Amino acid sequence: MNQLWQRLLATTPAQAWAGLVRFWRRSLQFRTVLISLGLTTLAIISVGIYMSVSISNDLFSSRLTQVLNESQRAQAAAQRVLDTSEATDRIGAQSVMNAARIAIRDATSSPYIAVFRVPGQDSSVLAPQDFSSPELTGDVITTTLRSDVQTDSSAQFWQSVALNASANRVPGVVVGSQLSLPGGGNYELYIGYDFSQAESTLAFVQSVLWFAGVVLLVLSGMVAFFVARLLVRPIQVAAETSERLSQGDLDVRIPETGEDVMSTLSRSFNSMANSMQRQLTELADLSSIQQRFVADVSHELRTPLTTIRLASDHLYRHREELTRDNRRSAELLQAQLDRFESLLSDLLEISRYDARTIELETEPTNVAVLASDVVGLMMSLAVENKCEITVASPGGHFDIEVDPRRIRRVLINLIGNAIEHGAGSAIDVRIDSSPTAVAVSVRDYGHGMTPEQVTQVFGRFWRADSARKRTIGGTGLGLAISLEDARVHGGRIDVWAQENAGANFVLTLPRKSDVEIGELPIDPREGFDS
Amino acid sequence: MTHRILVVDDEDIILEMVAIALTDRGYAPVVCNSGTDALSMFRDTKPDLVLLDIQLPGRDGIEICRDIRAESGTPIIMLTANGETESLVLALEAGADDYIVKPYKAEELTARIRARLRPAVDSSSKILGIGDLTIDVTGHEVRRNGELLSLTPLEFDLLVALASQPAVVFTREMLLEQVWGYQYKADTRLVNVHVQRLRGKIEEDPDNPSVVMTVRGVGYRAGSVV
Repeated sequence: MNQLWQRLLATTPAQAWAGLVRFWRRSLQFRTVLISLGLTTLAIISVGIYMSVSISNDLFSSRLTQVLNESQRAQAAAQRVLDTSEATDRIGAQSVMNAARIAIRDATSSPYIAVFRVPGQDSSVLAPQDFSSPELTGDVITTTLRSDVQTDSSAQFWQSVALNASANRVPGVVVGSQLSLPGGGNYELYIGYDFSQAESTLAFVQSVLWFAGVVLLVLSGMVAFFVARLLVRPIQVAAETSERLSQGDLDVRIPETGEDVMSTLSRSFNSMANSMQRQLTELADLSSIQQRFVADVSHELRTPLTTIRLASDHLYRHREELTRDNRRSAELLQAQLDRFESLLSDLLEISRYDARTIELETEPTNVAVLASDVVGLMMSLAVENKCEITVASPGGHFDIEVDPRRIRRVLINLIGNAIEHGAGSAIDVRIDSSPTAVAVSVRDYGHGMTPEQVTQVFGRFWRADSARKRTIGGTGLGLAISLEDARVHGGRIDVWAQENAGANFVLTLPRKSDVEIGELPIDPREGFDS
Repeated sequence: MTHRILVVDDEDIILEMVAIALTDRGYAPVVCNSGTDALSMFRDTKPDLVLLDIQLPGRDGIEICRDIRAESGTPIIMLTANGETESLVLALEAGADDYIVKPYKAEELTARIRARLRPAVDSSSKILGIGDLTIDVTGHEVRRNGELLSLTPLEFDLLVALASQPAVVFTREMLLEQVWGYQYKADTRLVNVHVQRLRGKIEEDPDNPSVVMTVRGVGYRAGSVV
C-alpha cells in the first residue's frame, strides 16, 4: 500500500490518469465499485435535495401560518384597545396608542413593531406619532407592501425580508395590516418576525442530511467493494485456473463450494477440464500405441524382408546361371525389392513424424557445403538424364545447428525431383542467406505445374502426372517427408511453379531454431513472369 | 586364408540365408541362434569377425558385445532393425565396431565385413608418434612411456589414421570412409562413440584430450607430439 502511494506521488497527473484508465480497464472490481459509487452519489444527492427542499418549505409555511395568526391576534387586540379610546387630546391618544403597543407586544412573540399613519388623511390634532422598532427601519418595509396595506384596510399582507437585527441582517417576514384610531385616523401596523430560528433548523437538517449522505456513500462503497470482491474473486480464480490450464497444467481445477451459480460454473468448468484431460490422455495413449505399432511393424517386417533381400541378392548374383525367364524374374524381383524397401522406410519415417517421435541429432553444418556435396552426389543421375546442374552460393557460408542427415535428405529429394520433372532442362541450385535465415533453391525449367498442382505437391502419394512414366521412381512420400524435415528444424519449403516454365522449390531454415525466419532470403517467385 | 565369421541371430531362416550369402563370397560362417550360447561359441570357434543381432532372447546383443570385448578385440558388427537408436548407441559404447540396418543387401554386408577384415593401414613409416604415445604400426602396438595400451583393431586403425597425417583435420565423414570403409550414408555417431572409447583408453584426462583433439564444427585431428 505504501509503495502504491509512493508510486502515486511520484507520477505526473497524466501518468496517474493513464494508470487509472489502465486500472479501470483491467480491474473488474475497481470498475464495479466506481460505478456503484457514482450511482449511489446520484441517488443520495437527488434524495437529499428533495428532502432539503420539502423540509425547508414545510418549516417556512408552518412558521408563516404561525406568525400570520399571531399578527392577526395582535392586530385584533390592538384594535380592541384603540376602540375603547376616549382620548380628546394628543397626549391621551398617544397613551392609547402606547396601550395598543403593549397589547400587541403581549399578543405576539415578536418585539419588532412599526406603526405608521396612513398617508393622505386629514391631519388631526389627536393623531399620535409614527414609531418603529429599529429592526424595521430603512428599506425593510418596502413601498409595495406599504401600498398594499394602505389600499386594503381589512386584509393581512406579508413579505419575506431581511431584518436589521443586531449587526447582521437576519431572515424574517414582515406582516402588515391596518389599525384605526377613532378620531385619529387609520394606522398601518407592521410586525416583523425573526425566521432565523427556522433558518438554523434548516441548516441543521441540511448538515445532518449531508453527513448522512457521506456516511451512506462510504458505506455503500464498502458494500460494493465487498460484494464485488465476493463476486469477482471466484471469477478471478476461474480466470487464473483456465490460464494455467491453457498453459498445459492439466491437473488444475476450480474449488467447488455451495450450490450457487459460481459453483455451477466451477463444476461445468471442472468437468470440461476433466474431459479435456481425458481426451488428451487418450490422444497421448493413441500416439504411443501408434509408436509401438510402427516399431512392431518395422521389426516384424524387417526380419522376413532381410531374408527375401539376401535371397534375391543371391539369385541376382547368380542370374547368369539361370534360364532367360528365370533371369528376368530375378532382375525384376531385385528391382522391385529396392522400391519396396524405400517405400517401407519412407512409410515408417512419416509415421514417426505423425507420432511425433522424431529426435534431431544436430551439429554445426555449413549449408552451402552440404548443398554442393549433394549436387556432387546427384551428378551421375543428372548426367544420365542429360541435365546440367549449376550451383551458385552468394550466401550461406556459415554453420547452423541442424540435423545434416535430414537436410541432406531434403536436398537429395528436391534435386532428384528437379532431375525427374525437369525434362532435361538446366537445373539451378542457389544458396543464399538473410540475417535470420539461410535458403537453398532448386529451380528447373521443365514441365512445371498448374497452380492447383502446386497446392497438392506436398500431399502423400501425390504425383504430378499419373500418366507420365516414372524415370527415377520415388515413393510418393518424398516431398511430404522433406516438408516435415524442414518444419522440425523450424524451417519451411516454398514452391512456385508455372506450367511448362518449370518449378522452383526453396528450402528455408532459420539461423537459430528459436528465431523467426522473417523475410525469405530467396523468393520462390524469382524468375517467373508475374 | 578363409575368414571365419560367427553369425548370431535368433531367426534360423536369416542365419541360413546369411550363411549361404557368406559362403558364396568365400567366407566360412559359423551360426548361433541363441544369446546364451554365443560367448562359448565365440571361445570355441575363435572367429575373425562377429555379426551380432541386437535383439536376442536370453542374453541380448549388447551384453554379448561387452562379454566379447572383455576378452578380445575381434571386430563386431551389430545387426539392427531401424528405430533401435538407443540400443544401437549402447552397443557401440559396449565396443561394437560398426552396425548394419536390416534389411541389408548382401553387398552391403560383405562391404562392411571386408572393411573390418582388411589388413591394417599401410604406412610408410613403421613407428608413428601422436601426443605422448608411440605407435608401432607393424607390431600393432601402442605404448605410453614404454607401457603397452590395449586397443581393439578398430581403435588402432582410428588412431593410426589420425597419427599418419598429423597436419590434417579429419571430418567425421573422412574417418568413416578411411577407417570404416563407408562411401555415403554415413552415421557420424559411429565416429563420436569410438573417439570417446578411444580417448577413455589413451588419454590421461579424457575430458581434456591431448592425443585426439576435437576441432569444433569440423572433426578431429592428432595432438602434437611431445
